[in-house]
Amino acid sequence: MTITRRDVLLGATATAALMPLAARAQTSEVVIGVIYPFSGASAQQGVDAQKAYETALEVINKDTDFDLPLAKGEGLPGLGGAKVRLVFADHQADPQKGRAEAERLITQEKVCAVIGTYQSSVAVTVSQICERYQIPFVSADNSSPSLHRRGLKYYFRASPHDEMYSAAMFDFFDALKKKGTKINTLALFHEDTIFGTDSGNAQAKIAAERGYKILADIKYRNNSPSLSAEVQQLKSASADVLMPSSYTTDGILLVKTMAELGYKPNAIVAQDAGFSEKALYDAVGDKLEGVISRGTFSLDLAQKRPMVGKINEMFKARSGKDLNDLTSRQFMGLIVLADAISRAKSTEGEKIRDALAATDIPGDKTIMPWKRIKFDEMGQNNDADPVLLQYVGGKFVTIFPPQAAIAEATWPMK
Amino acid sequence: MDKNFATRRRRDLFVAAALAVIAALAPLFVKDVYVQNILILTLMYAALSQSWNILSGYCGQISLGHALYFGLGAYTTALLFMKFGVLPWFGMLAGGLLSALIAMGLGYLCFRLRGHYFVIATIVIAEITLLLFHNWDWAGAALGIDIPVRGDSWLKFQFTRSKLPYFYFALVLACVAWFVTWWLEDSKWGFWWRAVKDNPEAAESLGVVVFNSKMGAAAVSAFLVAVGGSFYAQFVSYIDPESVMGFQFSLLMALPAVLGGIGTLWGPVLGAAILIPLTELTRSFIGGSGRGVDLIVYGTLIILISLALPRGLVSLFPSRKGAAR
Amino acid sequence: MNSIFDGGPGVLTAEAIIQSLASGLLMGLLYGLIAVGLALIFGLMDVVNFAHGEFLMISMYATFFLFAFFAIDPLLSAPLVAAAMFVFGAVVYLLIVRFAMRAKANAGMVQIFSTFGLAIVMRGLAQFFFTPDYRSIPQSALGGKTVSIAGIFLPEPQLVGALLSIAAFGALYLFINRTDFGRALEATREDPGAVALVGIDKNRVFALGWGLGAALVGLSGAIMAIFFYIYPDVGASFALIAYVTVALGGFGSVFGAFAGGIIVGLVEATTALILPPSLKSVGIYAVYLLVVFIRPRGLFGSM
Repeated sequence: MTITRRDVLLGATATAALMPLAARAQTSEVVIGVIYPFSGASAQQGVDAQKAYETALEVINKDTDFDLPLAKGEGLPGLGGAKVRLVFADHQADPQKGRAEAERLITQEKVCAVIGTYQSSVAVTVSQICERYQIPFVSADNSSPSLHRRGLKYYFRASPHDEMYSAAMFDFFDALKKKGTKINTLALFHEDTIFGTDSGNAQAKIAAERGYKILADIKYRNNSPSLSAEVQQLKSASADVLMPSSYTTDGILLVKTMAELGYKPNAIVAQDAGFSEKALYDAVGDKLEGVISRGTFSLDLAQKRPMVGKINEMFKARSGKDLNDLTSRQFMGLIVLADAISRAKSTEGEKIRDALAATDIPGDKTIMPWKRIKFDEMGQNNDADPVLLQYVGGKFVTIFPPQAAIAEATWPMK
Repeated sequence: MDKNFATRRRRDLFVAAALAVIAALAPLFVKDVYVQNILILTLMYAALSQSWNILSGYCGQISLGHALYFGLGAYTTALLFMKFGVLPWFGMLAGGLLSALIAMGLGYLCFRLRGHYFVIATIVIAEITLLLFHNWDWAGAALGIDIPVRGDSWLKFQFTRSKLPYFYFALVLACVAWFVTWWLEDSKWGFWWRAVKDNPEAAESLGVVVFNSKMGAAAVSAFLVAVGGSFYAQFVSYIDPESVMGFQFSLLMALPAVLGGIGTLWGPVLGAAILIPLTELTRSFIGGSGRGVDLIVYGTLIILISLALPRGLVSLFPSRKGAAR
Repeated sequence: MNSIFDGGPGVLTAEAIIQSLASGLLMGLLYGLIAVGLALIFGLMDVVNFAHGEFLMISMYATFFLFAFFAIDPLLSAPLVAAAMFVFGAVVYLLIVRFAMRAKANAGMVQIFSTFGLAIVMRGLAQFFFTPDYRSIPQSALGGKTVSIAGIFLPEPQLVGALLSIAAFGALYLFINRTDFGRALEATREDPGAVALVGIDKNRVFALGWGLGAALVGLSGAIMAIFFYIYPDVGASFALIAYVTVALGGFGSVFGAFAGGIIVGLVEATTALILPPSLKSVGIYAVYLLVVFIRPRGLFGSM
């Protein structure tokens, strides 16, 4: 990237594009790109994410008294109180569009880092582009385990991936078994996109390792018009635990179809996604008393850490919803990223990367029930302990692991 | 053909050459990678739509399942490279030939179907293939194929930051697709297709030769679209079933030709030149609102153009009116 | 693991097979009801409405909002929704389709893409006004209720949907064959030029045809809203099934859509017993291809 005489003559746009990334440091404003689906089938997740990021932005840019990095004082202290600005882009769940938007944000909007993306498939291309431009990518809410294993230097994920989540579920089963509860057989029910496939693979693998028998491993087409045949097979299998990995739409249809076909499983232990969405419980909450979902977040943490409740109120004022597993991870992701930028004292990609790699935030300075946030050499935080939550009396209570639990699990479910 | 026709063809060739030269010089002035990205997509869709137009426009066999060939091209290239280390250039050829063969096989079965029966057959065949890829673990199933990019290489046809190689490849592909169409227009095949369109009874007497020419058109069309798919796999360096074989893709491939002028030489180029920048810009600059405004703008435009200009945007240029004749 | 080849204990009992077929039959009748509007419009004027799924989507939203704001049960709101959709369908004809049919060139493509554009606009508008949130009706007269006969469960919403579907097809049959308007529809379809001579306004007949088609979608949307989730893209899941249903039954035959729906429902249920359920649509598509390769006009098609 050298600047020749002719290039200088080519006008503002051209020269701006050729400017070395380093020349952008020392601004009074730090721009971060946020890439989500804002239209199409998963637009709702994008819109919710936007609210979560705006809440985090308020904590960062305004003076608040939470015990979180960057909460006190305005803006980023490492950059003389520079304010963070977010630029939102729509990837429509298409990897190609995610890629193009990432490139636009980096070259045109001059973002110094990118955060996203909900769909794991889009995270693949967005993280590739970020790697090429040496701009850090924070994978706030993608749970596919393959993402951090691609040898990328600029990829960071503070939250757990599906193998960690699934391992937590089996730890829970093991603990219950020790106490004498009968859990021998499982029924897996997962959708056919990257999320369900990864989750189903991880669960099947761990089940085999730990000696659980899988009676049904049902992979279904996402947004299917009917799940009768699938539920019928689950019912015939009649396993001790039903383990769904479903988005909101299929989750709603699954629960309704189960009720209609008279299938009442002994226990449901869900891989988050739809089973942490308010829309699902609004629709079929009455049939889900006692359902267990993995998560990384629980509102009952507010009992121990009052700031969790206050931040939830801030988010609720914007979105009309409580923080859930996705939105809490998005909130935390931006805090972690902004904290690294502040410590880097620079908006240069490489310096932010190094600061991210040096991140070490103790668990009680987050809104999550994690031990701490510290990235391994692949950019994965292995201290993000998943929790299991049980839906009891209209809200979630943490039941596992013991150090985070506030109640005993009700097993079997009602 | 008559003298006017010959003159027009010579002029078309001249205009195309001039446009190609102008396009080839564009990167000298356009340095912004985002704009370059839009230009590449525009050229890619122009090429795809031009190829689609050969079968669906000129032959009148409306396919809304061309994502099948696009996906086969992308997957053949990516799988051969990842599993067997075959360079993408050979993968491209292999994907193209495979798609051409499959297109002829499907043509043999489906060309007897008329109207919407044919359209729906093309849709469901592409959907079946999509579902099979979705469940095919060896080909990555839903996880797709992530092609690692390790530095710039013409041999592996991958470049980390520079968009120019992709740009020139897309330009060449668009030119080839255009030239093939141009050449077909004046060939025996082109003559039969026009005859069949003007006079359905002629179809009866020409039965067998027309059927064979359609098979040829299907093969050419599928080959070019598959090469486009190979290009896409290299360009994006990640593919999954939904993003290269989805129904949406079949529609996106048809739209430029339909809006520009179906069954015309210039329709796909014109349609892509307007439609692609428009969709990219509306998404980038109003899509982030999460309120669906980009969809409303885009959809309204499709309704208005298709109603106001049934012959497509080319009919705005009087000299080319009904260029397919 | 998920097929008869290596299923676990009890996966494929006789009871399970009967249950699958019963569920498939109910769903199939509902598919028929969803598709009949499409079949009617096509039969009348050779136009395929690519916004059919979006018609279903707004019917479901209408049912949802009548429930949310006025606490009207979907069973009661079904006629209201159908009436509203009747008006909507007629308006779409008068504002868009009428012009698409006048296209001097490429009429088929103009119809496909003007209705496709309409589908995109409708999704955008739904997202704009209703937000992309997933909605559903938590409590209703039929919601979650189920009838159990000898261990076979028949969910009431689908059961009522199926009965409604049979009734609708019956009524439509009588309507087309026994009423003046029905005969006008048929006559207009066969020769739009000639009917003008006997004083039938072609546009009026077509507008009423579109209204009727949309009203039938409205009816199915109201039933669907009882047990399905609702969001701006929900129509996409049903649109392709509806096209295949109509084509399988044969274009131009309203009865064909009925038969097509039942076949699609049963094939879907059967495929899920044999193949992994994620491939169950493959069965539907394969049966369609098989049928048209043997009978290029579908099972009962006239064109």
